[in-house]
Amino acid sequence: MCRKAATFNDDGYDERLSGGGLSTVFDMTSKAFTHAVDGLSGRDAHVQKAGDVAFEQTFVSSPAPLYGGLGPIFNNVSCISCHHNDGKGTPTAGDVRSSLLFRISTSGTNEHGGPAPMPGYGGQIQDQALQGVLPEAKISIVYADVAVTYPDGTVTHLRKPTYTMQSLYTPLTGVCSLSPRLAPPVFGLGLLATIPEETILAFADESDADGDGISGKANYVYNPQTRQTELGRFGLKANTSTIAVQVATAYQQDMGVTSAIQPQKSCFGQPQMNARDVNAAPDLPDSTLNAVIFYIKTLAVPARRDVLDPVVKRGQQLFAQLNCSGCHKPTIQTGVDMTLPAASNQRIHPYTDLLLHDMGDDLADNYTDYLANGSEWRTMPLWGIGLFEKTNGTPYYLHDGRARTIEEAILWHGGEANKAKNNFVQLSKTDRDAVISFLKSL
Amino acid sequence: MKNKIILLAAASFLSLTACNKKDDNNSTATDFNTLKTTVLADFTNNVALPSYGDLKTASDDLYAKLQTLNTSTNDANLTAAREAWKKMRGTWEQCEGFLFGPVEDNDYDPNMDTWPTDYNEMDSLLSHASSFTVADVSGYQLSLRGYHPIEYMIFGKDGNKTAADLTAKEKEYIIALAEDLKNTCTALYTSWSAAPENFAQQVIKAGNGSTKYTTKKEMYKVIVDGMAGICDEVGNGKMKDPYETYLTDPTLAPYGVESPYAGTSVADFKNNLIGLQNVYMGTYNGKTGLGLKDLVAAKNKSLDNNIQSKIAIAIASFDNITLPYGQAIATQRTQIQATMTALNDLQALLEGDLQAFVTQYITD
Repeated sequence: MCRKAATFNDDGYDERLSGGGLSTVFDMTSKAFTHAVDGLSGRDAHVQKAGDVAFEQTFVSSPAPLYGGLGPIFNNVSCISCHHNDGKGTPTAGDVRSSLLFRISTSGTNEHGGPAPMPGYGGQIQDQALQGVLPEAKISIVYADVAVTYPDGTVTHLRKPTYTMQSLYTPLTGVCSLSPRLAPPVFGLGLLATIPEETILAFADESDADGDGISGKANYVYNPQTRQTELGRFGLKANTSTIAVQVATAYQQDMGVTSAIQPQKSCFGQPQMNARDVNAAPDLPDSTLNAVIFYIKTLAVPARRDVLDPVVKRGQQLFAQLNCSGCHKPTIQTGVDMTLPAASNQRIHPYTDLLLHDMGDDLADNYTDYLANGSEWRTMPLWGIGLFEKTNGTPYYLHDGRARTIEEAILWHGGEANKAKNNFVQLSKTDRDAVISFLKSL
Repeated sequence: MKNKIILLAAASFLSLTACNKKDDNNSTATDFNTLKTTVLADFTNNVALPSYGDLKTASDDLYAKLQTLNTSTNDANLTAAREAWKKMRGTWEQCEGFLFGPVEDNDYDPNMDTWPTDYNEMDSLLSHASSFTVADVSGYQLSLRGYHPIEYMIFGKDGNKTAADLTAKEKEYIIALAEDLKNTCTALYTSWSAAPENFAQQVIKAGNGSTKYTTKKEMYKVIVDGMAGICDEVGNGKMKDPYETYLTDPTLAPYGVESPYAGTSVADFKNNLIGLQNVYMGTYNGKTGLGLKDLVAAKNKSLDNNIQSKIAIAIASFDNITLPYGQAIATQRTQIQATMTALNDLQALLEGDLQAFVTQYITD
């Protein structure tokens, strides 16, 4: 009567569960990225909610009884202002709605092997400031039209951005690299954090030993909390190793709000620094910082849509045939996080290998970030990509939001992705549309 | 046995038609399929558009009253301006029963209604700015725009500011703020009522040509989400945060209370729930039509009764909180807890049974 245990058939899994059984939520509205994973205890749900409230909270200047610490220089006043509905935002800079910020560096590296800060500016340009304080600079964005013609004669227009610093509060000293960064979605990170290191490293093929044109590389970065060098997996160039450091650094750099993990104001050493802030207690209470970290860690992944649609299925097949999945890995097994069962031993579909890849000259920002060179970017997770038009009204794709459609984003792929992109271009329109329909289902 | 079944069927059919006849107010369409479309149209035309229209009118009125205050600064005009502020606030809070679409996508909500206000920045502005234009204001951080800076300046910290206290700079700033607010409310109304966004049409034509909502199921999910969302915001946020902070830091807690200067906090919360009720019942300001209640009743009268009852309980419970909220968190905690419980119950029902209803019955 006993049946010998057999391997579970791949067909037996529910394809819609991008975040696995416990971290997937069925919501395709603008709120799709804002839900907590299943199974949180009462206390955990309480902390998650506190983090949710803090994430949406506008901060004000100090002294203030609540939510003080904004500035003196900053990019925006709350997490949600850039991460609209916990997703990507709008690629403008210096505006209340802006979700684009710019990292800045000069030649060389800092004491930890990371980007060398530009004297007077630090590692990021803060383009807003409190009253009476000088913002570091403003960035002007100009787009040039680039037409791409398919073999079948169809033409698609891309827009190539040029970023220029203006209204500099102090001159630049030395070679300057600017890296535009559009606020990425913040869901699913707890799952990505639980992927075992060995799994990520197994995807790496820096010398392209298998000759498929893809040479994924791991980024090793400094963690200011543990003071170790660790595998990076978060951020557009995988320059951050943990969610805690990601959150604390975003508070510090993007809002000027200090915490126990990043206790120094972003303008330390600059004239914008307020004497009162030197050696001051952190702006953000530990409880709030921890709540926000927990909130981010426990955001669920939206379920896929239209998985049985034949066009979507055709697109899924083509995605594999084109070897998009060479970097955008469809299926990964997570490890164990004792504090988060919902992220443990889950079969997830993030469509990323979390590694750095050379994406070609057209996408290069010439900004080095630890081991990532000026053409390398971390593979962006594609889960949720079909919902960007819900969460932001108008969708924008790629690291700086230059692409207005998924098709444009594909056409920008170069470098290691050149082969896949060219094969995509060679497809018939029907097949190209199928690939895009598949991506929209994610 | 067979006869019994036929009799039962006949009886239920009769009672169904009887129900339909009774609920037949504005629309003659009563079959479920048509109801799905009519409810969206009635919600848009009877609740959403008039609410946003009233908001726009109220913002025009507030602006006018503040201009009068500016030219003729006396206590009578200050009182009139305060009344206009409160009236507008009430209308806005009801609009929060359906926080989806342009109000969220175009950031109209945070542009109007950010809390807390940045007093340091405000003081700095008032000391250093040479002038205030609406263009200046629309570039300020969110904590310096919208209702609450105006509230702070016309009511004063303890609610007892006099006309004589108003400085020339404050008045200039207030006028610019009110114009900015007026522009936001006008843009919000226009985003629904006119091209290029025509959002009203996007809602009405959900699943039937709408580019934003390709199925009616999605549209209803979004509407129910909006209702559950405001329950959550009030019950687990606006009310809960100061209530809990009071336990660990009683002096800090009142700072988390919105609209403390005008003293409208509890009225604001209650209006949020009335806004939710407007959406569910399909009524607004005396105007009646079809609402979600009619859809639910058509398939599950008991669920409809349950929802209506929980909404009514939640709304009524606010009347037991008689003190300004900053004081109530000290001495009316039982009443506050009762309201938060009622809100949580309602939220659970909306997120659970009502969303399940949408999934099951709104199959486009």
